[in-house]
This record gives sequence, structure tokens and C-alpha cells, in this order.
Amino acid sequence: MEAEATLQPLSSIAPAAQNNINAKFIVLDKGRVAMEDQHKTCLALVADETAAVHFQLWGDECEAVEAGDILVLKNGIFSYNRNSLVLRAGKRGAVEKVGEFTMRFVETPNLSEIQWAPDPRAANKYVQRAVVSAYSRIFPPMR
Amino acid sequence: MASKLTVRLAHEAESSLEITLREAFCCLEPQLKPPFPLIIPTQEQYSLLNKAILYGILCEPHLLKIHIKHLHGVITDGYGYFTSIIVIIVNEMYRKLVDSAKRQLIWIAREMVDVAAVGFNDLLVALLRQIVAGDSSEENLWLCYEMVTLFSSKWDCLLEEGSSVLTGALYVFLRLLSDDCRVSNAPNFESLMKMEKDFCVKMLREKFNLCLKIGRDLLRLLQDLVHVPEFRAIWKDLLYAPSVFGVGEFMDISKLYYTRTPKWYFLLRVNPQMESQLRFLLTHVKFGSQMRYQVWFAKKFLSAPEKNAVLIDIVRFICCVHHPSNDIIHSDIIPRWVVIGWLLKSNMENYVEANMKLALFYDWLFFNEKLDNIMNIEPALLLMVHSIPEYIDITNSLLEFLFLLLDNYDLERKEIVLRGLSTSLRTLLRKGVVESSAFIFLVLNAKHREPAFTRNSLQQLSISL
Repeated sequence: MEAEATLQPLSSIAPAAQNNINAKFIVLDKGRVAMEDQHKTCLALVADETAAVHFQLWGDECEAVEAGDILVLKNGIFSYNRNSLVLRAGKRGAVEKVGEFTMRFVETPNLSEIQWAPDPRAANKYVQRAVVSAYSRIFPPMR
Repeated sequence: MASKLTVRLAHEAESSLEITLREAFCCLEPQLKPPFPLIIPTQEQYSLLNKAILYGILCEPHLLKIHIKHLHGVITDGYGYFTSIIVIIVNEMYRKLVDSAKRQLIWIAREMVDVAAVGFNDLLVALLRQIVAGDSSEENLWLCYEMVTLFSSKWDCLLEEGSSVLTGALYVFLRLLSDDCRVSNAPNFESLMKMEKDFCVKMLREKFNLCLKIGRDLLRLLQDLVHVPEFRAIWKDLLYAPSVFGVGEFMDISKLYYTRTPKWYFLLRVNPQMESQLRFLLTHVKFGSQMRYQVWFAKKFLSAPEKNAVLIDIVRFICCVHHPSNDIIHSDIIPRWVVIGWLLKSNMENYVEANMKLALFYDWLFFNEKLDNIMNIEPALLLMVHSIPEYIDITNSLLEFLFLLLDNYDLERKEIVLRGLSTSLRTLLRKGVVESSAFIFLVLNAKHREPAFTRNSLQQLSISL
């Protein structure tokens, strides 16, 4: 039996070259599917009660995941992919649907819309330096 | 070799319930074939055994006889635990079950009725809730067919058990028929509709004393079927010859007006996923943050106009079943009237819109302070008042409908409806649901529209307040 990984709130994630992010969040919106090096890719806005972030769906995740789905991410990675900062499952991670609808969320802060800078005190770590936008510029809040 | 229990899509986690059942089955598989062990199990072993046999029944149809014999031999609690797990499976996983498992489910439901299992009512209710309104897919029609056949064939058994679930079935089939009878060409389910009609007519003609328990919503459903010949005769008798139903106390249709419909009937037409999403919306989502949830709900349940008849049942659910606590009412959580206002803007047929408004005002018509709950009538008034001035067309449309009801609902019993409406307003004002100034503003605003008929109705209403 797999040990239950500890889930962390989205507000606690920071960009890193490690695939160690385990989190539970709800998909707020999904963009159009595009092709990137012969793979399907699609950007989504996901959030939990602490923060929101852009999530990059990959391959068959693009069709499998819908707005309103509650997902659990295991061994995900939060890093720059072609100049945008996204959370994704990556090669070593996986995302699974565990429910629908019944989860609260906030749309700000959006960690993908934050300017990060290297932490002067710790190598390979990043800290928040400035807010580029309070909300996602790609998936603005509904009015 | 056990088949799968559910159809799982890519990136979908296995439900914890399915994991529990499968593990119980794997763990006890050797003991599920004869000779069966004769030890007396502990509570935990008993639960595990129930789960294992159930999984076997659902996934090994070819070994059904062995599993069921085993089950009958080990039960010590009247099948209470066994049926309770089946109910959870139906409520949480029905849509995902593979076809063979669904067939086994119906089979085991019939078996539970035959042995008068503890909780068989809940099981039948759970299955009825899975019938989708306005869905003419083979799968849905099959479930409908199985349920109407079950109720018709187990008629005597269910009556003997004093089961109220027969009236639940009546509620469901009347409601389904009222949508289906409007579909102009329904050749593939004409025979199914005939079976449903026969069941309903039999209940109404032979067991009217039981049907009375449904209360006033029985009339709301029957009225919608007045254009169907089989029900027109019944309707005429209800109005003009109530004694033919052979129930002593039922001497006039108004007896039903004054019987409040118990909450569980309204749940019959709202499936568990819809219920849990609506309850979540009304319990956890702040007013102003509901937009995304509304989009998701509409996409999942209101995607096609023919499925939108369920809106009528959702309104009844919100008004009569989901009563928020005082804490929630005074918090910033989205109020019920906002949700109803949103639903009223959905894309739907005219008859659905009219029936939604009737569903919203139904408890107003016969409101009696001692018998009825103010929580059932509060959303309508709040929606009317709070729609001023930004959404004044909603206020007007609802007021117009209210006065239409006053003038036309029951031409021979207008004073009953007038009394109901005025008691509703009086009670709502007295309990401070709205400020009296808001109400006066509402009434004055109505006066400027359609002056001809509202003036007369308004006069009647104001005099009686």
C-alpha cells in the first residue's frame, strides 16, 4: 500500500528544479489545447483555499481534466516552462481526479503571476519578490 | 475471474469504497465457495464478509447462486448492514458501474424486497433517484423499465410491508411522465410509458389512502398530466367526485391542499451529486464567489434544454428541503434566493419556466402557520424584493405569476388561495423576513404594471392583510 504523501497548500510552493510537490486543488478553468513538440498541451487555472496557480496539462491529461474537477498531484514540479511559471505533473509526477465541485478556493494570490528571485540565504531556493498581477491575466476572475 | 466493478477513465482515482470492497473480496475469496466455514464471526469479520459477498455478487454473475445462498446463511442483522453498503454504492458510484454490475444490482434489490431486508426502502429510493429526467438513452430507459417492473411485480409484497416507497415510486413516475408526455415523438419508449401510467393509475385508484401521504405536491404533479387521457379522468374525480376514491376523510380536494409534502419526496428527483453540489453551494460559497460553481453545475446538469425540466425539482429542493441554519443565513454565504434567481435565467421550455414559478410559490398558496414552515416560502419573497431595482423584470414576472395564481389556480376555491397567499405575506412580514417598507415598495411597483388585473387582486390581498 502506498504511503499517503503529505499534501501542501498551494501558497507554500516555490519554483524549484525538484519534483516533490504534493497538493490537492480544484480546476477553475481550462484553456485551449495546443501542440508542443508533438505533444498535446493545455494551460489550466487551479486553486485551493490558500492560492491559485497555472497548471500545465500534458498529453491525455488535457482531455481527462475538466473545470470543476478536484485533483491530487503527486511529485509535481513548479518551474519555468518556456518563460511561463507553471505547476505540472512532469515526467515523474501524476495527477488524479478525486472529486468534483465541493472545494473552496481563492483566485489570489496567483503564484504564476509573481516575480520570484533567488533566496540570498539559501542556494537553489526562490522567494517572492514582486506581484506581477493579483489575479491570473490568462484566466481573469468571472464577474 | 471477477470482472471489474466500475468503468474508470484515465487519471481518475479509484474510489476508497471500491478499494475497500475489492480488498474484502480478495481477502476472503477462498471462503466464498462451499463448504462455507461455520464459525461465528466478530463484528469486524461480519462486515468484511458482507462486503466480500456483495463484491462477489456484483462482479461474478456466474457465481450468483452460490453467493446468495452464502449470504442468506450468514446474515444475523436482517440484512441491515448489507443493504446499507448497497445504498452507498448506488449513491456514490451508480453512473460508473459496469453494465453487468448494474444488472446484478437490480437483481439484488428484488431479492432484498423478497426477504423484507432492513433498509430495502432506502435501497429502492436510492435507485429511483438515479433515473435522470429527460434522458432517453438506453441506459436510463432500462433503469426506468426495471424500476417500474419491480414496483409492479412486488406490489403485494411492498404493500404487506407497509412500505411508503410505493408512494415514492408514484411521485417519480408521475414526474417523469409529465416531461415525457410532452415529447411529441417517443416511439421507443411508448410501452415503457404505458407501464408507468398503469402503475400510477393503479396506485391512485386502488391505494388512494396511501397516496394521500404525498400531500399537496401530488396535485401539483397530477395537474401537469391533465392533458393525458388516463389522468384526466382521475383529475375530474378528484375535483367533482372525491368519494369514489373510497377514503373516508377525503371529501374535498382541499384536504390535499392542507397536507404538507414530506421532504423525502423532493429528494427523489434530485440525484445525490446534484444534492451534494447544491448543498455545498448554499453552505460554503460566499455571495459574490459563486460564478464558477454555477458554470460547472450548469455544464454538468443543465446542458440540454430537454434535461432542464429538473430545474422544477431543484427549486422544490431548495425551498423545501435545504433550510440553512441561522448562522449561515446571517453570514456572507450565498442565500437561496440568489441561486433560484440564477436558475430562473436558464435556457428552458415555457412550461418548465411556468412550473418553476409554481414550484417556487406552491407552499404560498395554502400556507398555514401551524402546519407549514416559513423557510419554504421565504426565498420567493426575498427574490422579489432583492431584484429591485436592478432586475426589476424578475420581480414583475414573479408578481404577475403570483396574481395569475390568485385569480386562476382554483376557480372554485379562490378564497382558500387568497387566504394562503395573505397568510404567507403576513407571516413573512411579521417575522421580519423583509422590512415592511420593502414590501410596500414591491406592491406599489406592481401597481404600475398590468393595472387591469393586478389592481383587483391587489385590493383583495391588501384587504385581507
